[in-house]
Amino acid sequence: MKKLLRTAAVAAVAALSLAACGGGGAGSASNVNPTGDIKPRQISWLLSRPADGAVINIMKKVADEYAQTHPGFSLNLITTPDRPSYIQKYETLAAANKLPELFDTDATPFAQQLAKQGKMVDAEKLLKDLGVYDTYRTNALNYQRFDDGSLYMIPFQFELEYFWYNKALFQQAGVSVPKSLDDIPAMCTALRKAGITPLALDGQDQWPLERYVSYQPFRDAGPDFVQKLKKGDAKFSDATGQKTVNWISQLGTAGCFQDGFSSQGYSDAQNLFTSGKAAMYNIGTWELPSLATDKLNPAVRNDVDYFTLPATPSSATAANEYVATSGIGMAVNSKTFDPLVSDFLKFALAKYPSEYAATGALSPTTNVQTTIPANATPLYKKAIDQAKDLGSKLAMPWDTQLDPTTNSRLQQELVLLAQGNVKPAEFTSTMDSTIAQNAPKFFK
Amino acid sequence: MLPNRSRLSVLVFLLPPLLLYGVAVLFPILQSLFLSFFSWNGISDMEFVGFANYVHMLTGDGVFWRSFFNALGYLAICLVLQLGGALFVASLLTSLRRGRELVKTLYLLPAVISTVAIAFLFVRIYSIDPVGLLNQVLGWIGLGSLERPWLSDVNTVLAAVSAPEGWRFTGLYMLIIYAALLAVPQELEEAARLDGANRWQLFTKIRFPHIRPVWITTTIMATTYGLRGFDIPYLMTNGGPGQSSELLTTYMYKTAFTSTDFGYASTISVFIVIECLVAVGFILLMLKRKADA
Repeated sequence: MKKLLRTAAVAAVAALSLAACGGGGAGSASNVNPTGDIKPRQISWLLSRPADGAVINIMKKVADEYAQTHPGFSLNLITTPDRPSYIQKYETLAAANKLPELFDTDATPFAQQLAKQGKMVDAEKLLKDLGVYDTYRTNALNYQRFDDGSLYMIPFQFELEYFWYNKALFQQAGVSVPKSLDDIPAMCTALRKAGITPLALDGQDQWPLERYVSYQPFRDAGPDFVQKLKKGDAKFSDATGQKTVNWISQLGTAGCFQDGFSSQGYSDAQNLFTSGKAAMYNIGTWELPSLATDKLNPAVRNDVDYFTLPATPSSATAANEYVATSGIGMAVNSKTFDPLVSDFLKFALAKYPSEYAATGALSPTTNVQTTIPANATPLYKKAIDQAKDLGSKLAMPWDTQLDPTTNSRLQQELVLLAQGNVKPAEFTSTMDSTIAQNAPKFFK
Repeated sequence: MLPNRSRLSVLVFLLPPLLLYGVAVLFPILQSLFLSFFSWNGISDMEFVGFANYVHMLTGDGVFWRSFFNALGYLAICLVLQLGGALFVASLLTSLRRGRELVKTLYLLPAVISTVAIAFLFVRIYSIDPVGLLNQVLGWIGLGSLERPWLSDVNTVLAAVSAPEGWRFTGLYMLIIYAALLAVPQELEEAARLDGANRWQLFTKIRFPHIRPVWITTTIMATTYGLRGFDIPYLMTNGGPGQSSELLTTYMYKTAFTSTDFGYASTISVFIVIECLVAVGFILLMLKRKADA
């Protein structure tokens, strides 16, 4: 028995030393201009984007062009489009100190810890050094910033989130575009009476419902609320918190979301809207190809329009301020940052915006014009042009703001609240105690 | 006592698998035990917290206990479906004159379908909008009032995620039990029949006592698989809605890889190891009692 204990102790010490080995080795985060020769080799980008999407296709093309003048260079793109799986992969690699040259991350508390440990290159300095900083949309960069204003991720897209709606179904139920968020529950009741599903929601992925909990606080108190809430400085039991909790509960009671939404996925929700069964669908401009081109079901094509997050004159934020994201950003590993990575990024970031805008998407930079596809409906241009009139305050998705444990719990409890399985008071106390328990670990 | 040379050869043959076992099984368990005394998110400094994780798990974490009881419920449903279903089908099979092979193959089929496919299949079966198979059938047979989103209803979701796991392996256990039933001596059954035993008595007095050793083995197998249940609930509901279908395994996984709380996740995994040891001990005790009886 003694022997066994001794062996266990040795194994444990070995484990500790292994873990300790994994912790070190970070390079300099602020040195954005590494000196030396460019030695072509393979570099990797761990990313979470659609495998056949514009970003990957363009970066492959750009890397091939770069390889022509730099024989021996190649860009290895390792994508995991499913976000929760990606986050697990990336955080595990971060823990093992095995992150590749480039990797995707949102501006989460976890990423901020990595940045603080000097494991990521300062993106603001890097972009300035590469001479492209001023070409980026301020909102696109702001979305990637941590709370302290520091910037460690480079955006590759820019998306606005709207409420898409079906004019014919609105007319059928006798409802009109809501003037404030508080109008929505009553709209849902009217739509339900007319036999129409009010809002199509992808409940399986959890972040779409989490968007809803952020809307009332953004209008009521501005973007600061979530910054305070995540640290425990604001609470769900505050007036603003209560407003959103009660609103979600009302949305549930009014039957706003389709039956069984919690087990329905992304395509289920989209199909509900595009097949003309659901009246509203809250999604970003990345879905323009399926909502505003001739790919859309002809039966609803001319009935689709959108409205932005409703605001009233008393709102803390303006009507032209809503959810605008620049998607998951790309971080540069400071440990492996060398003249080759720097030179490739300079080459790629100069080429990328025009190629990206040509696919019909909104570039994170302002120096290019989006090409409207030939098969687009008039709605496409309208949705793209909306980006020109955008306020300066952003409604940040809460899943990138809260600590991971609080975020998971919030996602779970929101489903229960919207389904009527927990009362607002119960939700409030559960979430406030979860934040009190977990926030200090991340926001010391 | 073995002669020296033979002892050496035993050692040579045993050492590699033992080493492999040590590296693949014992080392991670010990490492978990070690990590369970720390607060560590993978990139932060490891902070020794003593028994704080254990105290929090046992006294302050409602989700942990919810997951524990869910896991027991999941195990119970799986066992009833797998063992009960297997015994029932195997018994029916013995009285079939034709098409036994076809029925066996059909029942065994789910065991070879990939987990992901099964999960997607059942998500569709349980769906209400668009209406899935289960709700459609309920509507046809006049039980429309029972139609519901089975995976979104907190009262039905645990049973709904357990059923596919049960259904999947029923065929496998059926095959084992069927083989055991075939080995029951015919003359004993005939003698009992001549003595006037009915079907039920035949089953309880002759058949079941004969297949008991096989039954216990299958129980151990099914319990082990049930305790490690993870994939189907994780894929179908991700533990939701709320924590209604959260199992200890899915909760541990999320704590480690979503919350990046590796210390606390290790604490939960230590609990799972203890839980498995208790389950095996319990079954072994049962075996011993049966053997003594």
